[in-house]
Amino acid sequence: MQIQDLPYPDPGVPDARSGPRFLWWLGRNQLGGQLKALAWGLLHFVSVSALPFCVGLAVQAVVDHSGTRLAQTGALMALCGVAIAVGDTFLHRTAVTNWITAAARVQQLLARQSAELGSALTRRVAAGEVVAVSTGDVEKIGWFVEAVSRFTAAALTVVVVCVGLVVYQPALGVIVAVGLPVLALAVLPLLPRATRRADFQREKAGRATELASDTVAGLRVLRGIGGEELFLDRYRRASQEVRRAAVRSARMWSLISAIQVLLPGLLLIAIVWQGVHLARQGRITVGELVTVYSAVMVLTYPLRHFEEIAMAYSFSRPSAKRAARVLSLRRTTDAGGSREADAPSGDLYDPATGLLAPNGRLTAVVCGDPDAAGRLAERLGGHPSEAGPSVLLGGLPLDELPLDTARTAVLVQDKDPVLLSGSLRELLDVPASGGVGAEEALAAAQCGDVLDALAQGSLDEGDPMDARITERGRSLSGGQRQRLALARSLITDPEVLVLDEPTSAVDSHTEARIAEGVRTLRTGRTTVVFTSSPLLLDRADRVVMVHEDEVVAVGTHRELVHTDPLYRAVVTRETDDEAALRTRLDDHEAALRKTRKDDRAALRNGLDGDEAANRLGTFEEIEESA
Amino acid sequence: MIGVAPPAYDPAAPTTATTLPVGATATVRAYVAELFRRHRRAFLLLIAVNTVAVVSSMAGPYLLGGLVERVSDGARELHLGLTVGLFVLALAVQAVFVREVRLRGAMLGERMLADLREDFLVRSVGLPPGVLERAGTGDLLSRITTDIDRLANAMREAVPQLAIGVVWVVLLLGGLVVTAPPLAAAVLLAVPVLVVGCRWYFKRAPSGYRSESAGYAAVAAALAETVDAGRTVEAHRLGARRIALSERRIKEWTAWERYTLWLRSVLFPVINATHVVVLGSVLMVGGVLVLHDWIDVGQLTTGALIAQLLVDPVNLILRWYDEVQVAQVSLARLVGVRDIEPDAGDGSLAPDGRTVRADAVRFGYREGVDVLREVSLKVAPGTRVALVGPSGAGKSTLGRLLAGIYAPGAGRITLGDAELSRMPAERVRSHVALVNQEHHVFVGSLRDNILLARADAVDAELWAALGAVDADGWARALDDGLDTEVGSGGLALTPAQAQQIALARLVLADPHTLVLDEATSLLDPRAARHLERSLARVLDGRTVVAIAHRLHTAHDADVIAVVENGRISELGSHDQLVEADGAYAALWRSWHG
Repeated sequence: MQIQDLPYPDPGVPDARSGPRFLWWLGRNQLGGQLKALAWGLLHFVSVSALPFCVGLAVQAVVDHSGTRLAQTGALMALCGVAIAVGDTFLHRTAVTNWITAAARVQQLLARQSAELGSALTRRVAAGEVVAVSTGDVEKIGWFVEAVSRFTAAALTVVVVCVGLVVYQPALGVIVAVGLPVLALAVLPLLPRATRRADFQREKAGRATELASDTVAGLRVLRGIGGEELFLDRYRRASQEVRRAAVRSARMWSLISAIQVLLPGLLLIAIVWQGVHLARQGRITVGELVTVYSAVMVLTYPLRHFEEIAMAYSFSRPSAKRAARVLSLRRTTDAGGSREADAPSGDLYDPATGLLAPNGRLTAVVCGDPDAAGRLAERLGGHPSEAGPSVLLGGLPLDELPLDTARTAVLVQDKDPVLLSGSLRELLDVPASGGVGAEEALAAAQCGDVLDALAQGSLDEGDPMDARITERGRSLSGGQRQRLALARSLITDPEVLVLDEPTSAVDSHTEARIAEGVRTLRTGRTTVVFTSSPLLLDRADRVVMVHEDEVVAVGTHRELVHTDPLYRAVVTRETDDEAALRTRLDDHEAALRKTRKDDRAALRNGLDGDEAANRLGTFEEIEESA
Repeated sequence: MIGVAPPAYDPAAPTTATTLPVGATATVRAYVAELFRRHRRAFLLLIAVNTVAVVSSMAGPYLLGGLVERVSDGARELHLGLTVGLFVLALAVQAVFVREVRLRGAMLGERMLADLREDFLVRSVGLPPGVLERAGTGDLLSRITTDIDRLANAMREAVPQLAIGVVWVVLLLGGLVVTAPPLAAAVLLAVPVLVVGCRWYFKRAPSGYRSESAGYAAVAAALAETVDAGRTVEAHRLGARRIALSERRIKEWTAWERYTLWLRSVLFPVINATHVVVLGSVLMVGGVLVLHDWIDVGQLTTGALIAQLLVDPVNLILRWYDEVQVAQVSLARLVGVRDIEPDAGDGSLAPDGRTVRADAVRFGYREGVDVLREVSLKVAPGTRVALVGPSGAGKSTLGRLLAGIYAPGAGRITLGDAELSRMPAERVRSHVALVNQEHHVFVGSLRDNILLARADAVDAELWAALGAVDADGWARALDDGLDTEVGSGGLALTPAQAQQIALARLVLADPHTLVLDEATSLLDPRAARHLERSLARVLDGRTVVAIAHRLHTAHDADVIAVVENGRISELGSHDQLVEADGAYAALWRSWHG
């Protein structure tokens, strides 16, 4: 796999039974790359190790006063130089390619996994974990997978050089062969403690960054009401803690550095001691002594790979474990569905509460408890997180349809719909029936001022559709976000649209216009709105009051507001005092009404019609004036 | 391989207009100079320690050179014991000082880094509220996270390591000169290759790495969004699109990886060639010199071993040099905040009385586009005013002007006849406080979250403030009471609870004039009204300007101002406005049924 061919057309099915198995799976899938890296690594390390022989040959040539041999050594060095450069460059290229392909593969797997889990992710703790794997763990996993071949090449080189030295000059070679493994292993016992301290430092640094960004995020609050010093002090403390942790970690690493100087040095001294004796006895030449000395100096380079692989493994093991856990998550419900069906249509009915949303009508649901409303809304879309009897659409149980079919038929916009970052055009480009255009939907959701705000904030103030929306639409106000989300749902134009508090952050003026816009746009389609706003309720064909998971009243807004005290309390936000007063008045009125009931009933229909006409007129006026 | 051009798409390019300034070169230089001055002692110490470490590292080659010379001359007395003794001593000194170098380098780097991040936060916290409102906190946030992170590497490792590397190279070259001057000259043969190669590389590398890391961050960001928006993604059947987006990000990122890999594919042979040329030229030139008896074998041996030692510091310098280049950009962004002058305001200005007045106020965020035009409003002390009107009509803007956050473009906003926008921010907030829809819960204890409004308040006062906003019920139910850790990572408060905390702060700060911008919009409707009533009791006698999108807030106010299209179109009490039968009356009827 070459970098330019990424991403993988299919990242494959990972072996996510455990961390090590996952690492093994990744390595096996890039066997070619691993072998290439191994081959280039061997070329590089072996030719680096050949340099000391050149040094020894050159010194010996000079000692023997041989210009020819000196020139030959020069040629040999040039050859080594070419081999080193080619080996190093291609080792680096293959190693980085291995790292990138492994990292890209894991990122692709994560993307697929999170798209598949969808809403199941936000409900479980896993959400943060997936992100942690993507931002931190992938690098470590890639590092270890890639380092394996480099380490193997380095280890083979060390063995080859040791064997070479023993053959070349047995008396000195043996000292090297015994000493080198000690060098390779000496610092390993210190590494776990060093990495622990480094982890601790990272944790502290993360905490400090969190405090800083938290302070900045709340800066407007601080500047508005005070408390800057309180938070600066807190940050200074955290920042100094990071410093101390970092220095503590540096102590360990500096100790390791010192050992990495000391031990090879001692080995060199032993070689000098023994070598000079041998040279005096004439058993070795001066050139050979210099070669062995120089070889030990150079060998510290491949030896570093022993530490690297140990660290890479200790870092990547928990990362791989976390990645494996995330990749092995499955949805609780069967997304495939147990029956094949085209998207059904008809009345939407929830057997658990008795809620009925007739086909093609606008139904408003009032529910005193916002959490219960959220659960009910989720259930209306089918495949909910909590088990229970399925909602029926046109008589078909939604839970038994394939997930995609259910989502196509019913779109549930929850209380906190997320705006995905990108241009406005991208945001509104969702799978849709095609029946509703972006302009129409934006107009119905009263997004005019949002478009203006977006155009203002963009780089070139051109088409607002090209304006960028930041992550979660944070640059917009709550009301603006809600209206864009509503526009997006309207564009989708599903058979059944369920909206949970779609205008809770929108002002009454705008809300009234949105109510009218949605009603017009959804004419003939089934729409369910969870709301307690009279401005929306007043425009619904049918209002259903749900209390303690049961339908307790059905009617129009005006009927219910006059006949149902609980309903009235919820939608008009009466306080308890007002409710009490009202009840007394109602009792009084009821007594009066009893006597004149028949007259009023005869009058009501006519009155209501006129009043509605009046009201519509007033709203058109407001619209014109704005 | 013919080369790789930089990819067309650059993920590091800005997507939104930067609103906060980026430091000019002069500012950055001045800051770096100041940083050096502040840590001069530590720098000098680092260099001194490093010098000892490097000099002692040359003892080995030097002593071996002497031995080789004597052995090859067949000298009788080798002084082997003495030489080895010196060797061991030098090694011990080297080991100790290498440890010191590493440690001192880290200590210096960490101290500079701590200075830098603390300086930056101190500056950010002093920014004028108007600048914050205009710029938003996003840019500032990315500076304190991304840029500080990038600088962390530079400060922690690159700066000390570069200092070490440079000293190291200079000393080794010095050692070569002392050993045999012609050998030092031989080393210079390698310099042209290195210089040409590095110039080519470093011209391209910093921006390449910046784009590469931005590209990688974009891969993670796309995934994080898919996860965060899980429900939305599923409801809108966006799964396939999100996968496609992630793969596009991977393609963009790896294109940059491929480009930087190509840059290194040029650099690596250059570096390797340099090392081999250094060693080769020392051996060949030196060898010829020995053959002509101009230098001896010992000098050659020492020279060759020192030349081999040059590999490490040269690699060190090359490795950290581009990191420092990348860091410069981040530093400029951090230092840029220092270019914003904190608003000193006119300290002599003090309000006389509590009447808030807006006189013929005009205001716009952009040249030529007025959000407010000719708005006049007088709020008598103790009055409760509700601002109502459609989105984008200018309610929130008027609220911010009344709280002194912006200065009007024309006209005056005064509190007790003193112009609000000319007063220092600290003075303004002792009189007027603004609570907006942004209900930030700080990471920390519940106590700290309220205490920030008045640092000397005791617990009883905190409980009273919580009680005033109907929050004492759930707060008392918390296991750790006021010590409960809240905010991200701690106990997650609901948006409604967060809003109550914002209001509790306000109660504790107790300014005589309050601007509440949709301050209860996140509470469930009945609770909101209850809260507003209990708040009204506590705030009795205070002037309150409430921006409301729920009509019951307006109903409870003394005066209602309907803001439409940047003007106040209706003004009066609830009864008066209903009587007048205008837009407000129509809404009220529709709303109340």
